[in-house]
Amino acid sequence: MSNITEFDIKKPKVDLNYASDKKPVHSDPNPEAKPLPKVTIDGKTYDFKPGDTIMQVAERYKVHEEIPRYCYHPGMPIAGTCRMCTVEVEKAPKLMTSCSTPAADGMVVHTRSDKVMKSRTGVMEFLLTNHPLDCPVCDKAGECELQDYNYEYGPGTSNFKEEKRVFEHATTKKLSDKVTLNMNRCVHCERCVRFTDDVTKTNDLVMVNRGWHKELEATTEAGLTNEYQGCLTDFCPVGALTWNDFRFKKRSWFLNRKPSLCDGCSKGCNIEVHSDSEIVYRYVPIYNELVNGHWMCDAGRSSYTSYTNPLRVIAPLMKHNDALHSTSIQTLLTDLQVHLKNAASIQLVVGTDATREEAALLKEKVPTIIGKNIAVSYFNGTNGVQTSADDKKLDELLKMKDLTPNTKGVEEQGLSPLANGEVNADIAILFRNGRAGIPKMKADQKVVLWGIWSQDELKSFPSKNILGVIAGLATIEKEGSYKNADGIVQKFHPAITHKGGALSAHQVVGVWKTLN
Amino acid sequence: MGTINVSKKYTAKEKAYLPAILIGMKITMKRFIQGFLFRKHDTIMYPEKKRDYSDRFRGMHFISVDKNKTENCTACYLCETICPAECIHIVADERDEEHNPYGVKKEKKPVSFDIDALRCCFCGFCEEACPKDAIKLSGNYELAVSSREEAIYDLDHLKRDMNGRREK
Ligand code: SF4
Ligand code: SF4
Ligand code: SF4
Ligand code: SF4
Ligand code: FES
Repeated sequence: MSNITEFDIKKPKVDLNYASDKKPVHSDPNPEAKPLPKVTIDGKTYDFKPGDTIMQVAERYKVHEEIPRYCYHPGMPIAGTCRMCTVEVEKAPKLMTSCSTPAADGMVVHTRSDKVMKSRTGVMEFLLTNHPLDCPVCDKAGECELQDYNYEYGPGTSNFKEEKRVFEHATTKKLSDKVTLNMNRCVHCERCVRFTDDVTKTNDLVMVNRGWHKELEATTEAGLTNEYQGCLTDFCPVGALTWNDFRFKKRSWFLNRKPSLCDGCSKGCNIEVHSDSEIVYRYVPIYNELVNGHWMCDAGRSSYTSYTNPLRVIAPLMKHNDALHSTSIQTLLTDLQVHLKNAASIQLVVGTDATREEAALLKEKVPTIIGKNIAVSYFNGTNGVQTSADDKKLDELLKMKDLTPNTKGVEEQGLSPLANGEVNADIAILFRNGRAGIPKMKADQKVVLWGIWSQDELKSFPSKNILGVIAGLATIEKEGSYKNADGIVQKFHPAITHKGGALSAHQVVGVWKTLN
Repeated sequence: MGTINVSKKYTAKEKAYLPAILIGMKITMKRFIQGFLFRKHDTIMYPEKKRDYSDRFRGMHFISVDKNKTENCTACYLCETICPAECIHIVADERDEEHNPYGVKKEKKPVSFDIDALRCCFCGFCEEACPKDAIKLSGNYELAVSSREEAIYDLDHLKRDMNGRREK
């Protein structure tokens, strides 16, 4: 693993993790000492690292598109059960599974010979004997490995004339309130079982019965209970496991896919934002060896809902006759400037969900614009976290105690935490992006709210106390960088365009400056 | 390149004019006698009488229903995907269990299904793409509306009672 601590998530500078289970298949005590061994794949010779399987070597050098696979997943132990990945190895009597056969020095491999293609066609035909092929209503359609591989390798026709097997009781089975199982579509790759056994270590899925009747079941009455169920729906190669939040919402081929960061906790998982017409439909994790591996937690996966929330304030609001009215940013700032100029003391509280750039900008520019000495501090307030020292891992995998993305990045700006988590000034400017907590305050504390706020949150203040709301942009709508709990700085770019009247902190400061 | 003159010289018969006029008069008289005396018309008294088009005519869309009046559409979006005019807009959701005696067959339903007939070019691709034989183009060619809104066919309009491909 390299020691990169800063990168742009558009081009993460990390080597791909091909060693399943993060353990090489067999380890060489001193791999650098000897010249690297060589393997010939489809007529070309490649160096490889001892321990690589044939599939891993092919993947590293991008031999052809990809060797088809169902059971293999780079984040899990190798099973070698689906037989889709077979390749021909010279001098070997039978086809070998490339996912589980370690490459050897001098090996000659053919990944697309006639024998191999015939075997793949056979595997496809068997998988399709009982498959319902209800692609029109299947959420996986468009990103389904069964569709893709069948298009490439499938027989096109079927010799199967009998009745298809139907799991009557498990066609729409809710494994939990997050995941639905349609057992008829399952191809028995058992990625899901291995995921709960080896990645989350919760053992909540198991295959019961054999052969024709082999069926996926939850091990407990309660169904799935782990915190990473969404991942099951990502890597299930077919539409057997689907994410309820996304179920029937959109067909996958309409989605725009842009990289961004999850801001649900201090881990900063790399995600792909799937949107259509600038409406977000889901987050899925993207691979980053240094941060999240292949996974993300369910809370993070659902966290986009607070940005698509219809109650989110997306226009500047100004107080008039003790009620808030939407207005232009110029009017709002002119009005606020009067209040702020007359205030005896002002406090600026930056939530730890501000980007590093926002924190630096607020700390530098806001006091000069107002022309006063302003106390600037930061506030976290999630899960009882005050500073990054209180943060800790909640489980073996990803979840962190701190539910804001940038505590370390804000601390880095030289701000100090808000004393006692309580604001105490004439007027408090609260900047937060919907993730950090709201500090304690006295009953008649005057506030200016900045960033991402929902109508529900506004209700927690007496309406005469709010002088104005400056609507801000969400992580997926803006540019910036976060420093995660491990001290890794990750830069991100807008994944969707904000269609409301909210402005980035830089735009607001720009307007504010011109008003003086 | 110069201009190419494609006009031709008039013949003597054409120059005389009268023969052409007489030929025209002859046709007029023939139609007059056929229509007035023998009641044989080439036009019809629309809208009292309507022309019968072939079954392959592509007119106003409809969505076929089963015997319980449930739409056959499962909101697969294939018609929306193929439509070259991008005039179909579907919102899908799960059919709640009490309204779904069909089980997995009809678990997905369209919540709204709009076709903007002003954009539609009546190509019939939607009908061809539909895996459920749900969306179809009827023989109805009377598409005139008095406002733009009416030209957007919603689910209620599309699910109207049909007699084959003909309006009831
Ligand atoms: S799993 Fe794939 S092949 Fe099967 S119904 Fe869904 S999209 Fe079609
Ligand atoms: S449910 Fe999906 S991941 Fe699990 S065995 Fe079936 S196809 Fe594989
Ligand atoms: S007939 Fe053609 S243009 Fe009209 S809705 Fe169907 S696919 Fe679209
Ligand atoms: S193609 Fe047919 S089933 Fe699919 S959404 Fe259109 S009308 Fe409905
Ligand atoms: S991917 Fe190799 S056997 Fe399944």
